[in-house]
Amino acid sequence: MSALFGLKNKLVYVCLNLKPFIMNPSDQLQLINDAINKTKEQLKPTSVNFIFWGILITLMSITHLLLPEFIQRSRYSSVLFWTVIPVIGMIVTIVYNIKMGVKKGYETHLGRALKITWGVFNVAWIALVVMSIFKRQNPVEDILFLLGIVLLISAFIIRFKPLVIGGALVLICSILLSIKPELNPLLLNAIAAFSGLFIPGLSLYLKK
Amino acid sequence: MFEPLDKLLTNPIRLMVMSVLVKVDSCDFNYLKKMTNSTQGNLSIQLKRLFENNYISITKSFEKNYPKTSCRITKTGATAFASHFKALQSYKNLDL
Repeated sequence: MSALFGLKNKLVYVCLNLKPFIMNPSDQLQLINDAINKTKEQLKPTSVNFIFWGILITLMSITHLLLPEFIQRSRYSSVLFWTVIPVIGMIVTIVYNIKMGVKKGYETHLGRALKITWGVFNVAWIALVVMSIFKRQNPVEDILFLLGIVLLISAFIIRFKPLVIGGALVLICSILLSIKPELNPLLLNAIAAFSGLFIPGLSLYLKK
Repeated sequence: MFEPLDKLLTNPIRLMVMSVLVKVDSCDFNYLKKMTNSTQGNLSIQLKRLFENNYISITKSFEKNYPKTSCRITKTGATAFASHFKALQSYKNLDL
């Protein structure tokens, strides 16, 4: 009898200890829901990239516009100005994004899609710059067209309206340059960078 | 009719790991440890069980001389998770 009582006690002990590990279906569904909600794509680091590039390209365009004799003082000085600084910017952005990825600890499918899209943009940008050097053509129109497309893709991926508007404005600037070649490409480049990168980036950063 | 639950996924830590991995492309060990609120040893055992059943893939690398473990969900794991989730929904209205 005492042996049976002991066995019963043991069973109660085992059941009580196992209880937290046996979840009912609604608890399991709640756990799945919590885990999925906690693991969200953080768009603040993405917005920092847009703000950084918006400021950089706007400042570079204004500098070139205001000080053309300084930027174009030799045959390749403007080419160097428009390649060295953006390449340094690219390196800064890549290092920043890697650090943010490590800090975050995970990569969502959306984050991966954005990473691939902008990685391809970087390669295409380098190709366009190299081709323009060989063709002796101003690459602003082509780069703006490419930027507009990539901005629109990113905007639709993250479902963010200001970025859709920004991407559309960049595309409009590119089209304006092709139909009205007398327009100043540097001025349009500054407008496109400010309205297509900086403003949507800032509104994404401030979005709760 | 109630569908059978996946026994491997009834454990809260393993279920939490699978729920995170189904949302992300890849995830590191420290994030899973933070999410599951478990010890390193316990999480390692649960990850090993998921790996042995081909539910996840584990990649080990080094970052600044520190070992880094990354996990990804496999096709088998994603299918199993989807079936388990579907089964859970069939039990949803049951007061257990």
